[in-house]
Amino acid sequence: MDQNSTLSVEDFVVAATSFYEISNRLADGWKLIKDENETYKTYIKKHTFLQVERDGVQSLLKTELVIFFNLSYGVPAFSFNIWNSSGVLLTLEEIRHMSFVTLNQKEFYSVITQQEHPIFLRPYFIVHPCHTAELLSALRQGSKNIIVTFLGLITPLLKLDLSMEYGL
Amino acid sequence: MANDREVLREIWDGKLPICFQLAQEEIMEIQQPDPFYVMVPRLSYFPLVTDKMKRHFLRFISQENADNEMWLDYNGQPLKWHYPIGFLYDLYCGIDPQLPWTLTVHFTKFPEDVLLHCPNKDVVEAHYMSTVKEADVLKHRGQVMSTMQKKDHNQLWLGLQNDKFDQFWAINRRLMESHGDNEGFKHIPIRIYSDDGSCFQRLVSPKNVDGSRKVLQQMIAELYPDKINIKLRTHGITLPLDTPLQWLSEHMSYPDNFLHLCVC
Repeated sequence: MDQNSTLSVEDFVVAATSFYEISNRLADGWKLIKDENETYKTYIKKHTFLQVERDGVQSLLKTELVIFFNLSYGVPAFSFNIWNSSGVLLTLEEIRHMSFVTLNQKEFYSVITQQEHPIFLRPYFIVHPCHTAELLSALRQGSKNIIVTFLGLITPLLKLDLSMEYGL
Repeated sequence: MANDREVLREIWDGKLPICFQLAQEEIMEIQQPDPFYVMVPRLSYFPLVTDKMKRHFLRFISQENADNEMWLDYNGQPLKWHYPIGFLYDLYCGIDPQLPWTLTVHFTKFPEDVLLHCPNKDVVEAHYMSTVKEADVLKHRGQVMSTMQKKDHNQLWLGLQNDKFDQFWAINRRLMESHGDNEGFKHIPIRIYSDDGSCFQRLVSPKNVDGSRKVLQQMIAELYPDKINIKLRTHGITLPLDTPLQWLSEHMSYPDNFLHLCVC
């Protein structure tokens, strides 16, 4: 990994702010949470509900999506939690079987793991940042907003509804 | 380079006596189980040293809970298995040492909003390896880990898991080398915790702006400009303020290659 492929905290906050402004125009629910003292703890998050069907049974899941800054790797990072309608966290294995996950089993376990969230210090599922830096450095030149570009890497793995108007 | 072998050995050999007690509400037998005493390496992780203890308590609990995920608490505080044991002790008992360290064992009501799930030792290994990788990204932009072979990664993990100092350090020394002409890491892998559970992460350079080596006191002044008299503890000792950060990182890091320091 080369110096140029990493992002500074300040770059991330600028990108997060402009992403939030686009989201506001589209009214699609992303929130920006800034931490003035600890800049690296700035993040954007969104709550949604997912309607899923399994074995003919419909159920409603609550999801929380958080994009934060990984200080060590110098890249944006994607984390999430999903709860069922009784408020119980879904396990990694349950999530793997969801229709919005398009990874095969081996890829899934090497890409997504449950970790202690560096900002909230609670368990979250986090997409591993290992390859993000290389991919982003290749795409950074043509990128208007690095978080939009980053989500473009994540959305094929986890089918999130992201409006075309973000410029994906 | 991590040259002070005596220090490395001393830290590796650090052990804690633990007294495990089964939570009262879990006991389903008339006869009370004896507490389970064991000496454990400070550098290890609880899931690696609790197999015997678990078997000891299993026959006292309701059989329907026997396959549940076991978890531990100290004074009502669930213990995060993904931190080294010695660090957890320093965090919760560093100021007021109590030995043996008495912990409560649970098989029900897993606090999933606090603790990561740990269904097997592979999860501990994956967590450990990804932390070493992160540390290497900070120190060498990830170049040492990515040029190592899979068998080297395995040797690192097995050395830790089986308490084999030479096996572990044969590989770990490569992670502790400085590259290029500048003596020192790019950043020091460091996490600083308060006992209220908050954690502090910063990109810390081993050098001052003028190129001189940075000592602990200078880092504290940078991180806590409005606080004086902060002391930091790790491996059961309060660190001298004139310790150079580079030396500290090479010798006092946990096997995951991070310095885990507690504010006291």
